[in-house]
Amino acid sequence: MDVCFGPIWPGYLRPMARSQTVRAFVEEVGDIASFTGRFFREVFRPRYEWAELLRQSFINGYRSLPLVAVTAFIMGLVLTVQSRPTLERFGAESMLPLMVAISVVREIGPVITALICAGKIGSSIGAELGSMKVTEQIDAMEVSGTNPFKYLVVTRVVSTTLMLPVLVVFADAIAIYASYIGVNIKGSVSWSLFHQQVFDSLVFADFLPAFIKSFFFGFAIGIVGCYKGFNTKNGTEGVGQASHSSVVVASLVIFVIDLIAVQITDILGYN
Amino acid sequence: MEKPAHGIERPLVIGEEVVVRIRGLKKAFGTNHVLRGFDMDLHQGENVMVLGKSGSGKSVLIKCIIGLLEPDAGIVDVLGQDMLALEHEALDKMRVRIGFLFQSNALYDSMTVRENLEFPMRRHMVKMNTAERQERVMRALADVGLEHTVDLMPSELSGGMRKRIGLARTLIMRPEIVLYDEPTTGLDPITSREIVELMLDLQREYGTSSILISHDLNVAKLAANQVIVLHEGTAHAQGTYEQLMHSTDPVVRRFFDSL
Repeated sequence: MDVCFGPIWPGYLRPMARSQTVRAFVEEVGDIASFTGRFFREVFRPRYEWAELLRQSFINGYRSLPLVAVTAFIMGLVLTVQSRPTLERFGAESMLPLMVAISVVREIGPVITALICAGKIGSSIGAELGSMKVTEQIDAMEVSGTNPFKYLVVTRVVSTTLMLPVLVVFADAIAIYASYIGVNIKGSVSWSLFHQQVFDSLVFADFLPAFIKSFFFGFAIGIVGCYKGFNTKNGTEGVGQASHSSVVVASLVIFVIDLIAVQITDILGYN
Repeated sequence: MEKPAHGIERPLVIGEEVVVRIRGLKKAFGTNHVLRGFDMDLHQGENVMVLGKSGSGKSVLIKCIIGLLEPDAGIVDVLGQDMLALEHEALDKMRVRIGFLFQSNALYDSMTVRENLEFPMRRHMVKMNTAERQERVMRALADVGLEHTVDLMPSELSGGMRKRIGLARTLIMRPEIVLYDEPTTGLDPITSREIVELMLDLQREYGTSSILISHDLNVAKLAANQVIVLHEGTAHAQGTYEQLMHSTDPVVRRFFDSL
């Protein structure tokens, strides 16, 4: 018997539609895993696309600096200003630089930077490769005897993986400087004292796990953006879908990685 | 050279050597059987046009030849090599010997015209120095009459200009075989004719063999030595344009009666 899925009831209320959604989700996860596997097979095999890797690093790293800087500055300032009343209530105002520094370095800096980059870089990769796919530019590359996976995907994923930790360190530094300004809005702390309070309290174990996880964030942004772009269908509409789903899926994966990372650092005693 | 009434010279120096041999080619997408045992031969210096209506599998055919699609069954033999048995690197080397002009031209829109033309050379002619590369780019642009566009972006070009640049990029590696996917679709009749003339001029200059995919009978009339009618996934009829024009086969007649 044919089952008609009319427009009256949303699909998630219907068992068959639900099972199709689950199947599509599982298939998508499998496809991304297979795509990731192909990345690892191709990344170590010559020929190496150094020039394109450098170009992508410039685009994904250097050109993201202004956005990351503004976001980090606001993040550091707002966090400081909003934390002050709570700390004042406990008479722990002097802990403000320490609290902001630890929050920024361990969690907020990497995650916010990764989310900003998922929006900027992930959507850009998804849209660019999607557009190349629907206008047959990827096929043109292939018929010209160039491996498009190596030229387009490997370079972009490696560049995001290498550039995100750099952006995170940059964002941490800007946010801490913004915190210094925030502290001085209502108080008066010299830069040397602020600097001493921040760096005396921070230990290498605060920085290292966050730095390591930012490589994974960068990898997730690159691989999801490339996967979505490389598998774009349905013309220009598909390009839009590739772009926005790159952001949504990459953001979700960033939170999942963060969740796993915090469990690992907890087990290793770094928390 | 043969000089028909329309004034354009078709290539007539056709060699004995078969450069593309296709036998029993089958390709299905799910339950949609697009190719059901297609056979054809392309000889050295010959232009074969595959004529078929939209959705008949013409583009699928040439994508199977170049290896963009994997056929379900059959033999695709190009320049003596079994294309279906080649590994990635060998396939890439073979692809340099085969040019492909896309229907949409597929110019890299983030690169200038110069970079588009240089792209395949940078990858496959690594020993070529910058001056030689520049000279070849300018020569290719001169062939298509568009030297002044060298530093323009593809978005700044008209449809006809993009087609010419696509042709220049296809031929810059001096391929032995060129596959044309709907070379005149979307162009006005005058530009279409100019593109066909250009294709034939360049073919004469570089001695290529070509497979043209189109539903445009004018292209068949102007450029093809042989026309194959692709119908229901097989080579339904084959002959010169003039032979097919006088055919009584109802499938063939449908094309000519629509003129």
